[in-house]
Amino acid sequence: MSGQQPLIQLTGVGKSYHEGDAEHIVLHGIDLDIRRGEFVALLGPSGSGKSTLLNVIGGIDAPTTGTVAIDDIDITALSERDRTLFRRSHIGFVFQFFNLLPTLTVEENILLPLELNGMKTGASARAHELLDAVGLGARADSYPDRLSGGEQQRIAIARALAHDPPLLLADEPTGNLDSETGAHVLKLLQDLTRATQKTVLIVTHSAEVIRVSDRVLRLRDGSIVEDTAP
Amino acid sequence: MSLLLRSSTSHLRRHPWQLVFALLGIALGVAVTIAVDLAVGSARRAFEISTSAVAGRATHQITGASTGLDEQLYRTLRVDAGITAIAPVVEGYVRRDRIALQIIGVDPFAEAPFRSYAAGQGPTSGLAPLLVRPGAVITSEQTAKAIGVAVGDSFAVALAGGTRTLLLVGTIRPADELSARALENLLIADISAAQETLGMIGRISRIDVAIPDGPAGTALLERIKARLPPDATINDTRARTLQVTQLTRAFSLNLTALSLLTLMFGMFLIYNSMTFSIVQRRGIFGILRTLGVTRREIFRVVLTEAAVVGLVGTLLGIFIGVLFGTQLVRLVTRTINDLYFVVAVRGLYLSPITIIKGVVLGIGATIIAALLPAYEATTAPPRNALTRSTLESRVREMLPRLTVLGIALLLFGGLMLIAFPRLLSVSFAGIFILVLGASLLVPGVTFVLMGALRPLLGRTTGMIGRMAAGGVAATLSRTGPAIAALAVSIAVGLAVGVMITSFRNTVVEWLGNTLAADIYISAPGFASNRSDVTMDPRVIAEVQNTPGIAAISTYRNVIVQAPGGAPVRVLALHFAPQHGKTFRFKEGRPENVWAAYRDSGQVIVTEPFAYRHDVHVGSAVTLLTPAGAHAFKIGGVLFDYSSEQGIVFIDLAQYRKWWNDGGVTSLAAFVGAGANPDTVIQSIRARTSATQALLIRPNTALRKASLEVFDRTFAITAVLRVLAIVVAFIGVLSALMALQLERAREIGVLRATGMTPAQVRMLVVMQTGLMGLAAGLLAMPIGAGLAALMVFVVNRRSFGWTLHMELPPGELGQALVLAIAAALLAGAYPAYRMSRTPPAAALRDE
Repeated sequence: MSGQQPLIQLTGVGKSYHEGDAEHIVLHGIDLDIRRGEFVALLGPSGSGKSTLLNVIGGIDAPTTGTVAIDDIDITALSERDRTLFRRSHIGFVFQFFNLLPTLTVEENILLPLELNGMKTGASARAHELLDAVGLGARADSYPDRLSGGEQQRIAIARALAHDPPLLLADEPTGNLDSETGAHVLKLLQDLTRATQKTVLIVTHSAEVIRVSDRVLRLRDGSIVEDTAP
Repeated sequence: MSLLLRSSTSHLRRHPWQLVFALLGIALGVAVTIAVDLAVGSARRAFEISTSAVAGRATHQITGASTGLDEQLYRTLRVDAGITAIAPVVEGYVRRDRIALQIIGVDPFAEAPFRSYAAGQGPTSGLAPLLVRPGAVITSEQTAKAIGVAVGDSFAVALAGGTRTLLLVGTIRPADELSARALENLLIADISAAQETLGMIGRISRIDVAIPDGPAGTALLERIKARLPPDATINDTRARTLQVTQLTRAFSLNLTALSLLTLMFGMFLIYNSMTFSIVQRRGIFGILRTLGVTRREIFRVVLTEAAVVGLVGTLLGIFIGVLFGTQLVRLVTRTINDLYFVVAVRGLYLSPITIIKGVVLGIGATIIAALLPAYEATTAPPRNALTRSTLESRVREMLPRLTVLGIALLLFGGLMLIAFPRLLSVSFAGIFILVLGASLLVPGVTFVLMGALRPLLGRTTGMIGRMAAGGVAATLSRTGPAIAALAVSIAVGLAVGVMITSFRNTVVEWLGNTLAADIYISAPGFASNRSDVTMDPRVIAEVQNTPGIAAISTYRNVIVQAPGGAPVRVLALHFAPQHGKTFRFKEGRPENVWAAYRDSGQVIVTEPFAYRHDVHVGSAVTLLTPAGAHAFKIGGVLFDYSSEQGIVFIDLAQYRKWWNDGGVTSLAAFVGAGANPDTVIQSIRARTSATQALLIRPNTALRKASLEVFDRTFAITAVLRVLAIVVAFIGVLSALMALQLERAREIGVLRATGMTPAQVRMLVVMQTGLMGLAAGLLAMPIGAGLAALMVFVVNRRSFGWTLHMELPPGELGQALVLAIAAALLAGAYPAYRMSRTPPAAALRDE
C-alpha cells in the first residue's frame, strides 16, 4: 500500500503575518514527512493553520521559515514561475467551493490541466475517461452552473487528477455537501487515488474522512499536536 | 484557440454590455480622430488637386508683387530671351448661383507641355474652340452639369458686384477620377478672355515654367532670373503649395488635439471596462494560478483579449469615423473658406496614413489602457480566498505614490510648456501630461474629501449617508478612474467654454475698437475676411459725393511677397481723421505710431505677424516692390484677430508710391452729425447699383457678420467638445454600472438584513451623487487651469494672439451641476436595478 520513500518533507516550516507592529504566527516550525501513496487527514479547529499548511505544501503560499520538499525538490527554493510550473505538473487541488471555471464547459475544465501540461494527443480521451469515472460522461458540454454541488465536486476531482499528479491536496472537499453526497464524493476520491497510488492530503472536519484515512494529523495553534493512524 | 483564451471570450460573451462599453470607448475615440483627419485631409487634398490642376506640370512659377505681372514680361521671356518652356496664366474666381468657380486663362499655344487637358494631336487641339468666340470657356462634363450649362449655352457669372457673360464651347471628359476632381469647378478660358472677364487687362497672374533637372535646368533658371523685374520672383511650385497648406497647420493641429482628447476619454473607458472585467475574474485567475498557469500566461491572455477588443473597436471606429467625417468635412471646409483659402470639397479622401493612425491609436490605446489591469490580473493570488478588499487596500497603499506621480507629471508638463515656448506640438503634449497629472490626483483628493464628508453625512442622513461616502472611498479602484474621467471631461468642457467666451468677448471688444466707421462698403468677394476684389473708381467717387458722408477711410487689401516668396497680407489704409484713434496697440504709443505711419512711411504689424516673424517695434519688414525689396520699419504692433497669419498695415499713399497700384478694395464711411446711416446707405445703393453691385453694410451688420464667422469657426470645436463629454459620460456610466453591479452581493446582504428597496436606491443615488460632487469640485480648478492654458498658451502659440481670459462664476457653477447631474443620470439605472434585485439572486454565486 504505502511506499517508504517520503513524497513530502517539511523541515521547520513556519509562517507568520505582520499586522501593524504585531506579528501573528500561523505555523510554528513544523517538521513532517508524508510517504508516497499515503491518504492523510489534516484536522484542527478554525484558525489552527490547516489551510495555510495546505497552501504552503501546494506552493501557492511561501513559508516564512523552513523548507518544503516534494519529490525531493525543494519548492521553497524555486522562483515564483518555477513553483507555478512545478504545481502545474505535480499537484492537483480540490477545494471546498469547487472552483470550477464558470467560463469553460465541464469537459474543458478537465482538459485545462492537460493543455497546460502540453498534452495534445489523447487529451480528449483522457477527459472522457475521467468523466465516465466520476459518472458524468453525459454532462461534458454543460457549464458548471448547470451542475449540482456534488456533481461540481466530482468534476473538480476529475480535473485535479486529469494530468496524473503524484500529490492531491483537498481543502474540505465535502464541507459544502450534504452527508450523503459527501460520502459519495469521498468514496470516489478514495477509489481514484488509491487505485493510482496518489498521495492525498485532506483538510477536513469529517469523521467519515478520518475513518478512511491512513494517517491523521491534528493541528492546533500552528503546531502538529497529534500524528496517529485512525 | 487555447482554453485560456476560450475562457476569456466566454467571459466577454457572458457580459455583453461590458464588451459594448469597451468597444464604444475605442470606437468613438478612433472615430473622432479619423473624422477630423478625414475632414482636414479631404479639404487639403481638394486644395492640392485644384492647385495641381492649375499648376499642371510646371516646376516653377513666376509671380508678381501684388497685382500680378505685366503681360509684357511673358513676351520678353518668350520672344526676346527665347525661353519656350513657359506659359502665362490668369486666374480668379467668379460665382454662378452659390457655386464658386475658378477661371484660369491660358495661352492655347503654350499650354500643351503644362496641363494634360491641352494634350492632343495639334498644339491647340483641346483648347482650339476657345479662340473662336469671345467669352468662350470649356469645363469638365460634371462641372457643366453642376452649373446647369450645356455646350453652346451662354451663361452669366457674378464677379466683383457685376455680371459677366461666358459661353460654354466645349467640355472635357476627364480620363480618371483624379482628373475629374482636379477639374471640378474649373473654367478654362483663353488668356485674353480671362483678362477681360476678370478685369485684368494687360496683367497676368503668373507665368508657369517647366525647368528640367540637371545643369541645363539650373542654367535656364539663371537666365530667367536675370530677366525678371524687381517685383517678380520665381519659386518652386511644390514649395508654394506647401506654404499654402501650412496655413491650416495650427487649425488642424487644434482639431487633432481635441480628437486625441476624445481618444483619451476612450482610454478611460477601456481602462474601466478592462479593470472591471479583471476584478470580476480575479477568482478565475486565482484558480488558474492554482492550477499552474504562470503570471506571464495570464498577462498574455489579458493583453490578447485587449488587442482583439481593440481591433474590433478600431474597425468599428474607422467605419463610424468615415460616416462622421462626411458631416464634419462640411464644417471644416466652411471654416477653411472663411479663414484660409477657397476650396470646394466634394470627394472624401481617406489616406492610408489616416487608417494606419486610427489602427495604431485604437489598438495602442487599448493595450496601454489594459496594461495596468493585465498586471493586476497577474497578481491574483493562487488561492481560494480572493477578496476585493486586498485590491482596495493595495490601491489605498498606492495613493501617496499616485499623488506624488501626479504632482511630478504636473511639474514635468509645466516644464515642457516653459522650455519650448514656440513649439505647438510640444505644448499640446505638455497639456496632455498636465491633464494626466491632474487626473492622477483625483483618487487621493476623493479619498480625503469622502473622509471629510463621511461624518457630516452621518449626522445629516444617518447610516446611508455614511455608507455612501465610505463606499466611494472604499472602492477607489473603480470610483477613482470614473471620477477622474468625469472630472477631466467636465474640466475640458469648462475650459473650452471659457476659452470660447474669452475669445469671443475679446473679439467683440476688438471689433468695437476697430469698426469705428458707420458704413462699410466693398465689392463682394469669395472669403469673408480677405476680399481683394477691387471697386470700380466710379463708384468710389459716387460714395464720396453721397450727401451725409462726412469722411472716408480707404482700404487696399492685397497679398504681396516677401523676398523668399512667402505671401504677406498688406492692408494699405488711408484713415479718415476720426479713424484709428480707438485701435489698441500691444507695442508702441498710439500718438507716435500714427505720426510715424503717416509721415515717415513706417508700417504697423498685427500681433500674430509680430509673433510669427518675431519682430517688434523698431524691427523691419522686408517686402518685394516693383522697385525691388524694401525694408519697412515697424512703428507699432496692433492687437488684431482677423488673420492668424498677420497683416502689415501701411499708409495708402506709401503703398501707392511703392507698388504703383491705385486699386481700392473697400471703404469705411463716417456719416455727418445728424445724418441717418440707413438713409445714407440707401442713397449710396441708388447711386452705385448701376455701375457695380456693392456689399454695403452698416457697422452693426459687419460686426454681426464678423461674429458669425467666429461662431462658425468654433462650431467644430463645440461638436468635438460635446463628443468628448459624451464619451466620458459613457465611461462614467460604465464605471458606475460596473461598480454597482459588482456590489450586487453586498447589496443582497443589505437587503437580506432588512434594507428596503427605497433605501438601496437612496444609497446608490447618494453614492453616485457624491462621485459627481467630487468630480465637479475637482473639475473647477482643473478646468480653470486648462482654460488659462488654452487662452494663454494654445491660442498664443497657435495663432499668436493675446486673449483676455474671463472666468464667469456661472460657468464654474454649471460645471459642478453638470458633473452631479451626469453622475446621477449614470447612476439611475444601477440604482433601479439594484433595488429590484431579489436578495437571494444577488447572494447567489455565479
